[in-house]
Amino acid sequence: MKADIAVVGSGLAALVATRTLQQAGRNALLIWPGLSSLYFTYATVDVLGYSDLTTTQPVDQPEAGVAKLIEDHPEHPYALAGLDALRSGTALLTEWLRDAGFTWQGSLARNLLLPTAIGTPKPSCLVPASMAAGDLRRTEPIVFCGFHGYEDFVPELAAANLSRSWGGDDQSVRAIRVSLPGFEPGRLFTSIDIARSFEDVAFRREVAGRIRREAAVDGVRIGMPAVLGLTHDMEVYSSFAAEVGHPVFEIPTLPPSVLGLRLFDRLRKHIQESGVEMVWAAPAHAAELSDGQCRRILLKSAGREQPIDARAYVLALEDTVDGALRAGVHEVIDPFFHQALAHHAVPTDRTDESLFKPQPFASVGYRVSNRLQPIGDDGRPLAGNVFVAGGAIAGYDPVGSKSRGGLAIATGYRAAREAMAA
Amino acid sequence: MITDEIGTLSDTVEEAAPVEACTKCTACNTVCPVARSTDIFRGPKFLGPESERYRSQAEAAVTAGLDLCSGCKLCEVTCPSQVTIQEYIRRAQNKGAEERGRTLRDWVLGHTRLLSRFGSMTAPLANFGNRNPLVRLAMEKVIGIHRKRPLPRYQWLTFERWFKRNRSLPLVGRAREGVSRRTVAYFYGCWVNYNERRLGEMVVHILERNGIDVIVPKQQCCGIPAVVNSNIDLARKYGAENVRRLSGLPANVDIIASSTSCGLMLKHDYSHLLEIPGAEPVGARTYDICEYLWMLYEAGELDIAFQPVETRLLYHAPCHLKSHGMGYPATRLLRLIPGVHLDEVDEGCCGISGTFGVKVEKYDLSMKIGSRLFEAVKAAGTDSVLADCETCRLQVEHGTGAKSAHPVEIVARAYGYR
Ligand code: SF4
Ligand code: SF4
Repeated sequence: MKADIAVVGSGLAALVATRTLQQAGRNALLIWPGLSSLYFTYATVDVLGYSDLTTTQPVDQPEAGVAKLIEDHPEHPYALAGLDALRSGTALLTEWLRDAGFTWQGSLARNLLLPTAIGTPKPSCLVPASMAAGDLRRTEPIVFCGFHGYEDFVPELAAANLSRSWGGDDQSVRAIRVSLPGFEPGRLFTSIDIARSFEDVAFRREVAGRIRREAAVDGVRIGMPAVLGLTHDMEVYSSFAAEVGHPVFEIPTLPPSVLGLRLFDRLRKHIQESGVEMVWAAPAHAAELSDGQCRRILLKSAGREQPIDARAYVLALEDTVDGALRAGVHEVIDPFFHQALAHHAVPTDRTDESLFKPQPFASVGYRVSNRLQPIGDDGRPLAGNVFVAGGAIAGYDPVGSKSRGGLAIATGYRAAREAMAA
Repeated sequence: MITDEIGTLSDTVEEAAPVEACTKCTACNTVCPVARSTDIFRGPKFLGPESERYRSQAEAAVTAGLDLCSGCKLCEVTCPSQVTIQEYIRRAQNKGAEERGRTLRDWVLGHTRLLSRFGSMTAPLANFGNRNPLVRLAMEKVIGIHRKRPLPRYQWLTFERWFKRNRSLPLVGRAREGVSRRTVAYFYGCWVNYNERRLGEMVVHILERNGIDVIVPKQQCCGIPAVVNSNIDLARKYGAENVRRLSGLPANVDIIASSTSCGLMLKHDYSHLLEIPGAEPVGARTYDICEYLWMLYEAGELDIAFQPVETRLLYHAPCHLKSHGMGYPATRLLRLIPGVHLDEVDEGCCGISGTFGVKVEKYDLSMKIGSRLFEAVKAAGTDSVLADCETCRLQVEHGTGAKSAHPVEIVARAYGYR
């Protein structure tokens, strides 16, 4: 199949790249290898939460923070993508969220500081409006509300942790639990099941009443796990908050994150309905090169291989889960050019025993040029018309610095612009 | 995925991953239309790879709710690790049916071809019966087919007979040497044969208009009704018969299917789920009709002297079309036609999944799954809803009252076919 520009991936980098092409009037083909694991960890779009891994001081102004990081680390993926790509990409995403029917808040100028499910403060840049009332720079006391039988969110733990770092006064953070009609103890359920139930008017009216009674006092805000509706971000939230009678904010839960589900479902739906074709269920697995250009990539379609013959390619895969990297016992190779991206004497060299340290495997990936082209050992592009975005770029380790969203936006946007020019 | 054999991984077509490849990411659960509509369904992750670990050859280990999997395969198209979730569920459903004994309904719905042949022979009577409330009540009580579900109309003249009558040359070897560029074998499927002959006529017309010789080899039901009604052995018998006949075609003959799920059976399930020897080369030369026409277009062989067709259309991509891994060729094709205004709707599964939504205990669930799509169709208010799959079309018509058509109908109109 012929295409103008093919984008491979399913995460935020792939979506931003595709939208960038679409807005520029180019014909993008989105090749979707299945849901990337990131789908479940996304809730907010974080640009830069911590300037380095040693500090506990959150970044207040993400744009200024990224500018400084670029200055200090010219090899960092942010530096390769450039500050302009972050700015333009963020503007594009913000507008897209609005067009797709989302209500989000935030800007590159200032981070919000929001409590996590374990009650730690976390800096975030763009967030669903349903989370915004959790901002820890506001002063109203917080009541964390959990559900009996649902242990992915433990309100007592969140309250205990938060009262240590915020407010200090025991009155300002509290934990309550209510039971959910139909969710008896002993029944197995996930945040998705609860979110589906919240779409039912009678169910949420009942739960709102129970929370109102438990919370008892006036002037508090209620923090609850993000389960307020599966598909719409505001419909359920607005009517529910009105019935609770207090400001309510959602807190991202352990994966699967309903917030991630809403975000990715809706963006994917919107981009398809606005005319971008998606190829589902066909993992891409090889690139054919000649004269320094990629001539086609091969997809594993039903029955046979399907060649995609595009003018340029954006490879926006994220990790080993969505097929960006293939990890063997000693080598990690990439699926397109089959080059070794990392060697390890023993596989355990890829991991650090401490969960809280940066993991070596996280930064394995394509080495890229300053135009985001994958480069070989000689430093020259493997193909002039291929550009890499997202987690598969070497040195891309967004976890500790809380920069996953911003890196996806900046590299996705930049790779798309480069692909247009190729 | 993580594996020791990275060398061999990269170049195989459609590698299937073992259960161990499941990373427990729950992606499959979040997209499953059944899990999204009812909380008694435990979801593909649990019923597929997780339960598979405990299933043995000898015992079915039928888990509660297993039956509710509709077979849409959205879990498989979503799984980033290519776990064959739905195949695990299918095999377990089949095993369960074997152990508990198949119901009359399993038999009836699995033998759609026999049933349709009978329906077609007795068309006026069968159509009358299918619309008669008393007959429908009896059908619900005796067989378990929901009385509100409209059943397709049968036609007396089958496509097979129409083709024989109207194309006088012998079936195989009609290719006019030197004149026609290509020869294709049309796998029309039971639907075209017994219910919508006109669609088959249009497919033949379009292909011939492009200088392609169409042959219609003798064929059997593709087997999907048997697969989804827990009769894998029967499906394999049908499939083997088709593979035998289609393998005998000259090497330069491509196979075309106009039915999404028939095409997917030929391309994929014969060699995977059903493990029919010799199925792979057949699958490798099978094309969906729109996929094929688009291929002709890219090769510069498609006649694009289309007449304008002034119409507003809404395209719904069937779940099984996504499994083909070929994108949406129908949308590309229709955008070549002047006057066509094509919108797309992405509301996921329509809910019918072949014979799933026909069953008395699943009818309501099927309508609930489809409700998001129905709302979107009603809001769009277009002239017609296009879907490549016939049961999607039935479901959309039933759920919305809108008209629906196969995309090739628009292509045929643009060629002046009336
Ligand atoms: S999507 Fe695939 S890998 Fe993820 S839980 Fe389901 S089967 Fe396992
Ligand atoms: S095939 Fe469809 S209904 Fe069955 S488990 Fe997968 S997604 Fe759910």
